[in-house]
Amino acid sequence: MKITKEIIQKIEGEATLELEWENNKIDYAKIKFLNFRGIEKILENRPFLDALLITPRVCGICNTSHIIASINAIENAYVNMGIKIDITKKAKRIREFALNAEKIQNHIKWLYFSILPEILKINGEDESSIRAFEGKEWIKSQKACATILKAMSIFTGQWPHGSFCMVGGVTCDPTQGDIYESMRYIEEVEEFCEKEIFGLSLDEFISFETSIQIKSTNGNLKKILEVLVDKNLNHMGKSYDRFISFGNNSSLKNPKKCEATRVLNADINYVGESLLNSFFEPNGYTYSKSAIYKNRYYETGPIARMMIIKNPLIRDLHKRNKDSILTRIIARISEIAHLILKSKNLLKKIDIYQKSCISPNIPYDSLTSVGVGYCEAARGSLIHKVEIKQGIIKSYDIITPTVWNLGNGSRENPAVAQKAIMGLTSPNDADLVFKAFDVCAVCTTQ
Amino acid sequence: MKHHNRSSIVWLQGLTCNGNSHSFLNYPSMDMFSKVFKILHHPQINTPYSLEDILKTDAKVDFLVIEGALSRSEKILSRFGYSFKDILDILSKKAKYIICAGSCASFGGIFRLQNEAKIFGALFSGKEKGGFWFNNSKVINISGCPMHPRWFVETLLKLHYGDKLSLDEYRRPKEVYSYLVHHGCLRNEYFEWKVDCKDYGEKEGCLFYEHGCQGPMTHANCNKILWNSVSSKTRVGSACFGCTEFDFPRLALYETKKHMSLPSAPYGISKRAYYSLAGVAKGFKIERLEKRLIDENN
Repeated sequence: MKITKEIIQKIEGEATLELEWENNKIDYAKIKFLNFRGIEKILENRPFLDALLITPRVCGICNTSHIIASINAIENAYVNMGIKIDITKKAKRIREFALNAEKIQNHIKWLYFSILPEILKINGEDESSIRAFEGKEWIKSQKACATILKAMSIFTGQWPHGSFCMVGGVTCDPTQGDIYESMRYIEEVEEFCEKEIFGLSLDEFISFETSIQIKSTNGNLKKILEVLVDKNLNHMGKSYDRFISFGNNSSLKNPKKCEATRVLNADINYVGESLLNSFFEPNGYTYSKSAIYKNRYYETGPIARMMIIKNPLIRDLHKRNKDSILTRIIARISEIAHLILKSKNLLKKIDIYQKSCISPNIPYDSLTSVGVGYCEAARGSLIHKVEIKQGIIKSYDIITPTVWNLGNGSRENPAVAQKAIMGLTSPNDADLVFKAFDVCAVCTTQ
Repeated sequence: MKHHNRSSIVWLQGLTCNGNSHSFLNYPSMDMFSKVFKILHHPQINTPYSLEDILKTDAKVDFLVIEGALSRSEKILSRFGYSFKDILDILSKKAKYIICAGSCASFGGIFRLQNEAKIFGALFSGKEKGGFWFNNSKVINISGCPMHPRWFVETLLKLHYGDKLSLDEYRRPKEVYSYLVHHGCLRNEYFEWKVDCKDYGEKEGCLFYEHGCQGPMTHANCNKILWNSVSSKTRVGSACFGCTEFDFPRLALYETKKHMSLPSAPYGISKRAYYSLAGVAKGFKIERLEKRLIDENN
């Protein structure tokens, strides 16, 4: 048996794939994340509000999802102590809007910085237009990301690392003009997506019910679909065909799981963390923990969200290709269109005359409780758990989307990405399958 | 690796959240940037050379950018199979300037708190001199969590064009870090008349007295140039948490530390001057400042 090491570059952080080969096939894959920063420990013995500032620093690309998961956990701790938390629709909409804008930015970066370069390479095409910092298409995508983040920063103050959430709501108090300004930026990004990614209006795109309809469009989405099908890569990268999404937003209110196509309720209490193979256990080889639901691995992220809300286009792709890289990649790109339209709708519905924040009227140091908070981040469900004693954090636990997808199981019971990689015949294929999950090493090993 | 008259950049990531890279990606004129600079290597982004290429070549690098806290321990920090110490030993010699992007690379930042003896910034460990290096005249700190893309690009431009760059005691460009976050804060009037913010989520009131705002003692021009060109923490009713300073993140970030029920005096203002003036201002009740800023009923 031969063992090779592939260092995966050009992702958020750094990961190593250790591939074990048998008869020219990948027999087993170990996914190693070797950098550790210890945020959970840093949070201990601090006043609980400090978490709102420190947890976003888990991740430079999904910091807003961390502040949202954190405020949800803290507010849940209040509720568990019998203190009512009222959040106005205005504050809820602003939080969801910020989260959406961050996801849009994330998906566009992944598409242009991570996936398109691979697709062009596979197709033997010139990559100069998406060369970082210089290529025309690359610069357009970077501008679109900066613009959607402007739309968000009107409410969050800045991105990365805005601090706009507070117990009982949000800290900002926008004027109607601010909302129009934000809308103007989103519409700019909408135009970019229609022209460059989807090749038709977003309204038309979200009405698609079959993947054949994509063939009539003219954008990067069509290109990716065609290259993957032409090169026979559309069935590659299948895993368990089991999905999970905890929701907590206007598209998905409550936690759900999906076994192939069957959608069922899920319960956050069944989520566990396995330390198997991690440096926190003997013979470990990675800093990543693994998230499990009733001792089984589930995939999270856009494909999970789309399968659970029964999006017709993704369901159609799934019917033909199951949970392959094709379905995974198209789901992630499609979500951009849905998020933009949802965000415009959220903005329109913000009533500036509602209160932004209704602070609970008790001193912070009287809080002794535990709380769980979750939200849908770009890469999937993010969970924060906090234990507070007299206002001070006793313990903090973060389960990131990447530990659902990119943990390590065993040869008999591999984790989601491991299973997707096993059986592949080249390191390049493994690299592509791995990147289709939108790897975030910084989140994984916070 | 000659690129006409463009200056070359190699970007490294230590213990980081990648937030400074993402902040840099918000720079609004990347096409202009690329006419002047060429990024040879960035670990996250599709750049032309791998770290190995860069380590093996004899060519000089104009700017070595370091993002993230540093450590000499191979166990704490290695990249692509090399210890970070070895990478820095090789590349720091080839570089004309070393730019610390963000507070982690400058002072150690949040991640230093995991192991203060072994994790630090390039030249500083918190306030103390001596980080990865004790002395290195090539280092320029662009602190902030994250740094603002304009602070970074404008500093590089000055060095590229040979314009004068004055640095403060923490080796930060004075043009950026002589300002205070307080300058340009929309709540200045409430600060002047000592009107506290009554609750979060309102346009009125100052966050300095009860909500932990560090604006009057934090060096940065956030409220002059704004974040993402549109806003800032204080403009959305959040306190400034002093993220450009060596002691970031302080303990109890959302609380104002007080001595005998008085907050600290703003940067460079004597306690006597500040408390005398504050006492007088507090003695008056300014009716307009007690009302809503936008009074729909009147």
